[in-house]
Amino acid sequence: MSPRPLAGPRLARVLAIVPYVLAHPGTTIAELAERFRVSPREIEQDLELLPMCGLPPYTADRLIDVWVDDEGAVDIRLAEYFERPLRLTPAEGVALVAAARALLAVPGADTDSPLGTAVDKLEAVVGVSGRLAIDVGDAAHLTAIRDAIEAHERVEIDYYSYARDEMTTRRVDPARVFHALGAWYLDAWCHRASGERLFRVDRVQAVRATGETFTPREVVASDDADGALTGLVYHPRPGDRRVTLELGATQAWVADELPLDSRVDGPDGSVRVTLAVSEDAFLERLLLRLGPEAEVVEPVEAAALRTAAAQRLLARYGS
Amino acid sequence: MSERLERLINLTATLLATRRPLTLDELADRLEPGYPDDLAARRRQFERDKETLRELGVPITVETTDSFGGEQGYRIRPDDYYLPDPGLDPAERAALHLAVTAVEVGGFDPLDALRKLGGAEGEGAGQAVATFELTPHLGDCFEAVTRRSVLEFSYRDEPRRLEPYGILHRFGHWYVVGRDRDRDAPRAFRIDRLDGPPDLGPRDAFTAPADVDPTDYLSSDPLTYGDDQPVRAHVLIDAARASLVTGALGDDAVVEQRDDGAVVVALDVVNRDAFRAFVLDLLDHAEVLDPPELRAEVVDWLRALAAPGSAG
Repeated sequence: MSPRPLAGPRLARVLAIVPYVLAHPGTTIAELAERFRVSPREIEQDLELLPMCGLPPYTADRLIDVWVDDEGAVDIRLAEYFERPLRLTPAEGVALVAAARALLAVPGADTDSPLGTAVDKLEAVVGVSGRLAIDVGDAAHLTAIRDAIEAHERVEIDYYSYARDEMTTRRVDPARVFHALGAWYLDAWCHRASGERLFRVDRVQAVRATGETFTPREVVASDDADGALTGLVYHPRPGDRRVTLELGATQAWVADELPLDSRVDGPDGSVRVTLAVSEDAFLERLLLRLGPEAEVVEPVEAAALRTAAAQRLLARYGS
Repeated sequence: MSERLERLINLTATLLATRRPLTLDELADRLEPGYPDDLAARRRQFERDKETLRELGVPITVETTDSFGGEQGYRIRPDDYYLPDPGLDPAERAALHLAVTAVEVGGFDPLDALRKLGGAEGEGAGQAVATFELTPHLGDCFEAVTRRSVLEFSYRDEPRRLEPYGILHRFGHWYVVGRDRDRDAPRAFRIDRLDGPPDLGPRDAFTAPADVDPTDYLSSDPLTYGDDQPVRAHVLIDAARASLVTGALGDDAVVEQRDDGAVVVALDVVNRDAFRAFVLDLLDHAEVLDPPELRAEVVDWLRALAAPGSAG
């Protein structure tokens, strides 16, 4: 099949522009371009198309009448059947309401705002009033960090690294906070690492003022949300140790939760997985949680690490 | 391209304006630019047009016409097509524009939706403050909530029938919440864990309680998920992790503050697996004090792992 240009997006735009002009006769082409976020030329092309459209038998009184005056003001007639835009699709509805609800859920957001009333109205026409909830959570030091960002204040933080199971203290220049994958993240210049680092705000244990301020760094063009997101999850490096485990059906969640190098499903619901692990503390916890039913296939050091960790924990229980 | 676009606009207009369903033959007779004369090619083109409109969300109804032979007829019901006017003012449209640029919803171009609501007003946000991914089947679940349709799906190989009251996003996952018909109990299901696409039953199949709050259907503390008989447990957390744990559980969980900075926290355990995972995650910084059977469970678990020559 030969590739063909996509008619869908343009059709969607035309079906939105026509009702707008019907409700706001005299809107100019420049205003339409601004409002619908396309070039004036594209608006003109959409408008040029319309006089060819209408209802059978396509006589003059059945074709859409488009009128553009010298100032670019647009008038459309004989298109009553397009008097209202097309309904939102379920995906559009959920995404729009979710975006608004998420912003309103950010700690400190003003719910008594135009956004609050807008989303109430939107939910009412979609038929989901109060039925979509977004929990972005809170973190003890989120407000302190946001204040520091606002005032360009360098701060000292106590930070818990989960993967290494270690507490560190570092000076950082906080650039921004954002929510992703169910948690709040701080994007900051870390003076201890001499580089930009992402921190999970709920693992920040303390924030102390240093009395110093900093000049915000230029935001690099590539530093968009996607770029930041890739830093959020562990990306195996070629040199990282690989561990192969044989898991029973009740431990197969590992395959859903962690990035795997490979996975082979057995007939009885068992699964053999190979994954990359960079830190001992992470591997210890994984193996302890999986328990005795999980078999460490290789390497033998991983099995030894598990035995040693279990003995260390047992010492706390006096056994 | 523009000929196909013209036909799609005319097809939409015709199906929207007609008062009775039109058969493909009738559409082919009337529409311009027309469909091919060859019947197979005509059917193919029409199916392609229908698919394009379906992807845009244009709701085409298929009905059997009264004419003899009972042919299939097509129309668009105005009530299915027209977006009711939400009555947004410019400030509200600008706020929505800001919201969809400040909150990125993966795989979704907010402009399509904004255009339907009268276009993008004002300036958007420069940087995202939050990002979400849309999960497969989320749209279906959302539609079921809006239509009050019973959702039927398989969840971990078990068939479920849910009266969906709402949608919740928590801990980075989407949940559909409501009343499980077979268990006659409130339930929350992680949408990305559905075994496949859910089936939507007929509209208006149930009445949801008037004051539903989706957040009530899923505790904000994963440790409280479970059906085990609740047991109150005390766990000693040493000084090095005390602030981390109290930050996560809240100060109310602390029942004892020791001189060396360690704390004892109390937990109501309803899910023993989750409790064990919580304790083991803290490695040698935590110790289950009581009750004896929970302490023994952890010790037995560790012994099996520590024994030389244990399985694995």
